[in-house]
Amino acid sequence: MDNSGKEKEAIALMAEAEKKVKSTQSFFGSLFGGSSKMEDACDLYGRAANMFKMAKNWSAAGNAFSQAALLHLQMQSKHDAATNFIDAGNAFKKSDPQEAINCLNRAIEIYTDMGRFTIAAKHHVTIAEVYETELVDIDKAIAHYEQAADYYKGEESTSSANKCLLKVATYAAQLEQYPKAIEIYEQVATHAMDSSLLKYSAKDYFFKAALCHFCVDMLNAKLAVQKYEEMFPAFSDSRECKLVKKLLDAFEEQNMDAYTDAVKEYDTISRLDQWLTTMLLRIKKSIQDDESDLR
Amino acid sequence: MSSDFEAYEQDFGTLTAEITNKIGRIPKLAGEEKTQLVLNVDKQLEEVRELLEQMDLEVREIPIQSRGMYNSRLKSYKQEMEKLEKDFKRSRIAYSDEVRNELLGDDGSSSESQRAHLLDNTEKLERSSRRLEAGYQIAVETEQVGQEILTNLHSDREKIQRSRDRLRETDANLGKSSRILTGMLRRIIQNRILVFILGAIILLTIILAIYFNLRGH
Repeated sequence: MDNSGKEKEAIALMAEAEKKVKSTQSFFGSLFGGSSKMEDACDLYGRAANMFKMAKNWSAAGNAFSQAALLHLQMQSKHDAATNFIDAGNAFKKSDPQEAINCLNRAIEIYTDMGRFTIAAKHHVTIAEVYETELVDIDKAIAHYEQAADYYKGEESTSSANKCLLKVATYAAQLEQYPKAIEIYEQVATHAMDSSLLKYSAKDYFFKAALCHFCVDMLNAKLAVQKYEEMFPAFSDSRECKLVKKLLDAFEEQNMDAYTDAVKEYDTISRLDQWLTTMLLRIKKSIQDDESDLR
Repeated sequence: MSSDFEAYEQDFGTLTAEITNKIGRIPKLAGEEKTQLVLNVDKQLEEVRELLEQMDLEVREIPIQSRGMYNSRLKSYKQEMEKLEKDFKRSRIAYSDEVRNELLGDDGSSSESQRAHLLDNTEKLERSSRRLEAGYQIAVETEQVGQEILTNLHSDREKIQRSRDRLRETDANLGKSSRILTGMLRRIIQNRILVFILGAIILLTIILAIYFNLRGH
């Protein structure tokens, strides 16, 4: 593949397109077939951007796509503008995350204007993922996930909404915003109980909610576990529920060894993932603090 | 007479002791030695039988009053002899530990083999319990994977339902637009007909006007 050749071609195309745009802005241009020239210019920008993509020059490709999108906005074709903004965003994701987020935000504005909330929600999720991975800004990520979940709920796609809400809850719990996390987990779990497909995941959500209660206050946790057992009898059979009960007992007796043993036993059968380890460690530390307080 | 009897009793005693001893030894031996010992014991049993017969004759010669005691003794000796014969017969076909060991491989003492057996069992148990745990782990993992798949299926289901609804909407919209287009086409045709008619009328009027003008001259 002749990458450098493609780049030169692409740059040439961009120059041509810019000339066309300038020419339409003069008086005569706007009189005589200005729109067709602008369409040509958009087309040229698109082709240039594709060539940049082939040459792996992501920022240039992103620029080309944004130009195309602006032209489309001028021509009042919102759909095309939004599509081009999304393409620009995707191209920028690989090189400049901040730019990408800008483009995606503009695209989302256009979509919400048009009333296409599902797509807007999907792109909120994309932005949130970028914040999660590249820019590591958890607060903004949470905000975007929440927005996405709201839009999904508005469009009656509860399962996608639940997916976003779960992510929100995971991060909220990590940031110690326990009430929010508890509310989300309980909501999702009650919803999952009723669906025949999802009821096998319900016990997992109850377990996480119980752990969050635990981090706040032990008594809460006890009441919560009882409440969940009433709501969902199958929960009491699961290993997770047994683990929580053991942890509660160990906590009451302030017995760190029993706590560690129970956790180890659970770990041998199914490995604890990152989130669970963090939460359990917090609870364990609170036991240690209590012990040292008593001394 | 009774001294004869007592002499016979003593002989009987020694012979039976010897026979018992030999009978005890027979199972442990094999082959040449065994056949010799068997013949030996046979001979001794014959002697014992003769002794008993003689004791019998002796007892008959004793006056009836004191016969009772000797009779009972004789009976017991006869029983003993019968027992010895039975033992002898059994011993000839009996197994002994040594023969077993020779057949099954000399294990030495049996407690050793039991210990090894127990260790083997424990090891087997441990292995099976480890396998069971691994199986349980795999089952739990499978359950988790199943949960994920179910959630995915659920969301896919919703997406498909939504797409289907949108498709129906699009279909209806397409129908509407095609009706509008047919309407437009009709109107265009109507307009064209109207234009032709009007054009014809104007032409006619112009021709009439020119005609009347010419006529008027």
